[in-house]
Amino acid sequence: MKNIVSGFLLIMTITLITACNQQPKELPYLGNMAMVDGQEVHHTVGTIHHYNQDSILMTNADFKDVIYVADFFFTSCPSICPRVTKEMHKIYEAVKDNPMVRLVSFTIDPVRDTPERLKLYADNLGVDHNKWYFLTGDKEGTFELADTYFVTAYEDEEVPGGFDHSGKIILVDKTGHIRSYSEGTEPQSTPKIIEDIKILSDSYK
Amino acid sequence: MKWLFVILAFTIIISGCYDTPYMQGQRLYQAHCQNCHMEDGSGLKSLIKPLNSSAYLGDDAMVCIIRRGILDTIFNDKDFLPKEMPAFKKLSVVEMANLVNYINNKWQVDFKEKTILDIEAAVSQCDTADY
Repeated sequence: MKNIVSGFLLIMTITLITACNQQPKELPYLGNMAMVDGQEVHHTVGTIHHYNQDSILMTNADFKDVIYVADFFFTSCPSICPRVTKEMHKIYEAVKDNPMVRLVSFTIDPVRDTPERLKLYADNLGVDHNKWYFLTGDKEGTFELADTYFVTAYEDEEVPGGFDHSGKIILVDKTGHIRSYSEGTEPQSTPKIIEDIKILSDSYK
Repeated sequence: MKWLFVILAFTIIISGCYDTPYMQGQRLYQAHCQNCHMEDGSGLKSLIKPLNSSAYLGDDAMVCIIRRGILDTIFNDKDFLPKEMPAFKKLSVVEMANLVNYINNKWQVDFKEKTILDIEAAVSQCDTADY
């Protein structure tokens, strides 16, 4: 009798757990709501008007059919950037076969980081130029853009490399809304954002 | 039996704290090296050289590289990308010894500890030699 009860409980538990897993998960919309034309809308990232490593101009319109993760860095960065780029590369490896996903790294040092230099950087990272964009544009515009990705970036002669910035990796959906993020300086937060990319990608299927 | 468990637990906790005999070296590595060369010494593809498979493991030249830094430039025709490792001139001989021993102990196959005298010799050779 005891065995039957235990068996029953076990089956119940398994059923419950599978039921939970089957529920479609939805990622939250991050940031404050904004009013646009009298309508409440979710927080949206700012204006992208940047050149990629192949010197092709990219704007927000180029991202309307893809989801992407973004970070802010510069190639001569002596502090946290290489660690963040390492985590971005882990994400790249995990999502490179998903045609809906892109990676975007904005440089906050456009004076030195020309498209040619970014191309060398991408080549030496060994990544697909059509999958991972390295973007350079107006410096102040990029600082303002970073703000809309909840990343702080500004010039500071006191810090190594001359720029202070945070190492967040931001997940953006097709409509420019921020849906998840991880800390590029904390490798243990990377599996979660890879999982979230999959959830977001699946939500468009 | 109970005591055995306590001793075992204690040993595990203690060994967890000291996974390297070069604690100062580890702290220096975390402070000065880890952001680029990574915790596991793997570097970053072709951009940042790995330490865990470096040809300089156990070589006195490593002392000189840390002391002088390296300006490594990646070229492609007229395009170039400077990859500069900064110089760490302010490390004392003792700090240098601890750092180099930490790195070698972690990744060199046949690790042999460098003495303070070894490091002192390497530093003075580095400071006199032109290269």
